[in-house]
Amino acid sequence: MTRVRHLSEEERHGLADGSLDGHGIRDAEAHLTMCAVCTADVRRLRSLMRLAESAPRPATDLDSLWPEIRSRIESSKVARLQPRVRASKRRGWLVAGLLAAAAIIAVTTLELRHGGAPDGRIATTTPTPLSPAGDSVRLYRDEAARLLEEMELRRATLPPATRTAIDDDLRTIDEAIKELEVAIVHDPSNPALRQLLASSYRQKVDLLERIGNAG
Amino acid sequence: MRADSEAVRFMNDVAALDDVVRRAQQGDVSAFETLYRTHAAAVFALCRRMTGNDRDARELVQDVFVRAWERLRTFRGESSLVTWLHRLAVNVVLGHLRSASRHRADELSDDIAGPTRSDRIDDRLDLDAALARLPDGARTVFVLHDIHGYSHEEIAQMTGTAPGTARAQLWRARRALLHVLEP
Repeated sequence: MTRVRHLSEEERHGLADGSLDGHGIRDAEAHLTMCAVCTADVRRLRSLMRLAESAPRPATDLDSLWPEIRSRIESSKVARLQPRVRASKRRGWLVAGLLAAAAIIAVTTLELRHGGAPDGRIATTTPTPLSPAGDSVRLYRDEAARLLEEMELRRATLPPATRTAIDDDLRTIDEAIKELEVAIVHDPSNPALRQLLASSYRQKVDLLERIGNAG
Repeated sequence: MRADSEAVRFMNDVAALDDVVRRAQQGDVSAFETLYRTHAAAVFALCRRMTGNDRDARELVQDVFVRAWERLRTFRGESSLVTWLHRLAVNVVLGHLRSASRHRADELSDDIAGPTRSDRIDDRLDLDAALARLPDGARTVFVLHDIHGYSHEEIAQMTGTAPGTARAQLWRARRALLHVLEP
């Protein structure tokens, strides 16, 4: 069957770049044998593609770009160190918090001793019902446990330096929590201790959330 | 015998390159400089053709290698470094073009842009000068398909368009280039 129309744009480009499929090629090539217009157009397209393949690569002086790239790389290396510096500062704050907690425990204990029984014994009171701080402790503890579980799952994917920094931070917070829990056993009615414990758990939750968000 | 020695040299070259990549991944800037010296010309050619001008291309070469430095640790060697770097460069340039298009009112036009689109067009119209006169979308598709051999599907994925759109842009780009290149 003889074609009565010129090749479509798709057929011309398909012939030129070889993307036309089997039947299409046979029909299109049959048309080319009798159509000078389409033959010339496909030839022009093919010559453009040959030019694209063989054209010399544009060039420029690339040596002059390296100092700027190097400078940006060095800056990024400094930026990469920043979180580590911040982590150290954070540990500093944790230690300061721990010292403050210890000071408050000491002051509270002294107050209890002085304001308690006249004979100097530590005043004994009936344990207070669960306070808002106590509720917070439980909430934060549950949340921290959940986040800790999540972190453990993705722990293997973290760089060793990050794992070490995280472990250091968690150890500091856990030590504070342990000390406060011991203090609460000895002084169960002290609301300041419970608030400090809640605060420590909150720090742990914050840290674990930051780790989760960083991933 | 000669083929054997060439094979050994090739293997040595591959091993040496692997070592350079590994050292760069560990933060060795000198090793990274070697990678830059090896691949910068190809990256520049891609950037130059996709943007159509030297100034943007030179800035983008810097961006590509800074990005490569930042992400080199994610390179696992499944593809060759050339392929990885090439894909990274395409993404950086496409990001640049998308960002630039937000500031250009003429971006939606499919007409051939005037000579002012290039910062330095020679009187002799070669392929690169002609490419510089195409709209960004058409130029991108032509460079990726006809020069670098990406498929329409790959181009569609990279540019966020449909394969049919990429194909139509390619045809328009070829026609526009013929129009510019032919007397």
